[in-house]
Amino acid sequence: MATKSGNATALTVLSPIKNGTVDETSYADITRERCLRLPIHENSPLSKVPNTYLARLFILDDVFYESLPANDAVFNFSDITSLFSDSARKKALPRKDHLKSKYLVFSSNFYGNLEDYLAGMWEKWSYVDHEGNQRDIRHIWEHCVAFDRVTDSASFISYIKRCQLDASLFFNGSTDDSLQEQLKALYLKQEFTQFAVAHQGKNAAEIQQAFKAFIERVQPQNLESPTWAPGKSTP
Amino acid sequence: MTHKLDLTDIQGNIIKAYGAYNFQKARYLFLRVDQGDKGRKFVGAITTKVTSAAPWGISGDDAAVKPQATTNIAFTFDGLQALEIPTASQRGFPEDFIMGMSKRKDILGDDGPSDPANWDKIWKEKVHIWISINGQSIDAVKKRYDWIMEQIEVSNGGVTLLTGHRGEKSEDDLPYQDASVLYDATGTPTPKEHFGYTDGIGDPVFEGQTNVPARVLGRGKLMRDGTWQPLATGEFLLGHVDEAMEYSKTAPSPWLLAHNGTYMVYRKLHENVGTFNRFLEEQSKSFDGSKEMLAAKFAGRWRDNGAPIVNAPDDASKAEWDKKFAEADFAGKKRMLTDFTYNDDIHGARCPYSAHLRRINPRGSLEYDVKDAYDTPGALVNRRRILRRGLPYGEVKDATRDDGNHGIIFMALNADIQRQFEFVQQQWINYANDFKEGNDKEVLLGNHDAKNPSKVVFSAEPGSGKPPHFVSNIPRLVETRGGDYFFIPSITALKAIAAGIVDPT
Repeated sequence: MATKSGNATALTVLSPIKNGTVDETSYADITRERCLRLPIHENSPLSKVPNTYLARLFILDDVFYESLPANDAVFNFSDITSLFSDSARKKALPRKDHLKSKYLVFSSNFYGNLEDYLAGMWEKWSYVDHEGNQRDIRHIWEHCVAFDRVTDSASFISYIKRCQLDASLFFNGSTDDSLQEQLKALYLKQEFTQFAVAHQGKNAAEIQQAFKAFIERVQPQNLESPTWAPGKSTP
Repeated sequence: MTHKLDLTDIQGNIIKAYGAYNFQKARYLFLRVDQGDKGRKFVGAITTKVTSAAPWGISGDDAAVKPQATTNIAFTFDGLQALEIPTASQRGFPEDFIMGMSKRKDILGDDGPSDPANWDKIWKEKVHIWISINGQSIDAVKKRYDWIMEQIEVSNGGVTLLTGHRGEKSEDDLPYQDASVLYDATGTPTPKEHFGYTDGIGDPVFEGQTNVPARVLGRGKLMRDGTWQPLATGEFLLGHVDEAMEYSKTAPSPWLLAHNGTYMVYRKLHENVGTFNRFLEEQSKSFDGSKEMLAAKFAGRWRDNGAPIVNAPDDASKAEWDKKFAEADFAGKKRMLTDFTYNDDIHGARCPYSAHLRRINPRGSLEYDVKDAYDTPGALVNRRRILRRGLPYGEVKDATRDDGNHGIIFMALNADIQRQFEFVQQQWINYANDFKEGNDKEVLLGNHDAKNPSKVVFSAEPGSGKPPHFVSNIPRLVETRGGDYFFIPSITALKAIAAGIVDPT
């Protein structure tokens, strides 16, 4: 499967979480709570990681068991075996699998190449948690197997790449332009709508004059500012 | 064989919009059940006067005499619990109905002035039973009301009539909600509501109704060959196959409790008449067309006679339409009002996508001119239709003011509140992704918010050289003042509830 779609990259990471507990709480549950308590919108650490289109974090506790569909085109073999005994029917069903550990799953769609993006994650991921502590990326991955060996950007990049799964799902609500381009476009669209509404019915000269001032203010070529803030959800 | 409904088993308000049968007055009562056994006895007594859907004035087995007053009855989930229907039957009801309307406020957009905290006092109590009286005269309504009051008396503490409706003289404790058609200066009844629009024209037509071929044009489902077919009965009645060729999952057990019943959304909608008039006046100053044309753009129909704006898109074409309308016979007039599509208006240059009419029933227009996008042009619409019932209430004493007690008692009937009414309210009235209009809200009913002002766009025909028109700073024109979700059982089910013999085993 392709992890690239134009300039967009899809990243899926499964990092195993250490088995074990601290004060009767498992490492997986500690990690889950840290994920659930991440601030959202503008305050999300992901809003600070450059070029993130859409990303999510969750804990994979185990795989789901899939039995057989209730009915095949003609019949299910397992249904026939049930004529003999229920244990015969169960033996004909697919084997049940379990994971050896729980996983921290991080999946992200972003602009650009993987190394640059991961370097951005290492450097820029930061937030203030619900108790007022400043946190960096290590707080979320802290209890993952072998994460204690991650000490710098290079070791973080190689760690994540070892956990990378070859799977791609792309966020349909995005183009493959850089995030800055997309946020600027969003900002311009909002501002231009307001401009159009405010100058409806005015004469051409007046509109042209106002439009010049508008362009000066919104600076379409300047991607830095003014623009729409990453993660911002309402005007 | 053609589907024939048991019209004598179905409550009349599901099939008939009484207002169209000269029932000009209505009164809605809400009751609480205090004792299960006595409450059931009361329901049994009311059931003897419940109006069925049997056609009036037609000779034959199903015929019924048109009464001076009708009576219908429905229950909230709390009401069915209070009447002690079996737990196994209670568990079959859908989540939306169990929760009730006030708890669905985030889905419905009932916020700010529409928040349940601002509803009529009666909705702060647990409402169990809804009873409606529609009368050909106010005297007929009063007579039936007196009879119901007697039954309440006879119930001897079984049920209580709840008070707390706002009234005309700023009362807040009335024991009933009155509604009435509006009359013109000569005292003639009109199909108008308080903003001046002609209401109740294009209700859905479904299989099993009478006289379908004459009524189905523009009101059924749009087929690929351009014809109209009646919608599946199961969209509006439980126990019948719906548009997915399935029985609705919203039906409780047993079958007899659900069959021929449906769900009703009751909403008291206050109309801010002063704000509407000022807004229309103000906006029409920058609009390229008459004030009436702008009002028509908001609704999708012209206020005076309900002419669909898609076929009369400006003042000049409206004059032509009126001329043809005047010359048409009765059936022709009906057709001119209902039989239309948006096929020649893909960009919404005639009827804006944010117009009320196009939002609540986009007909085939969600295909956006993509050839054979769906199975049939109306595929996305056929599962989102609602039967609309109700009448205006109150009186506008000063057309420059919002306060007072005037609006519409709006009732939406459907088999699945979440899939039909709530979807339309949430996705099509208060949001516009399906119409490619971002988060623009429908002009008249949208929950516009002064802090985050709404706008809508009236597109121009591409290539016409005209700019689109923006309507901005739209105020909240309609506010919710109360309501709930009700179950309207069949007459068979009513009798079973009354007798305490609902048996889900």
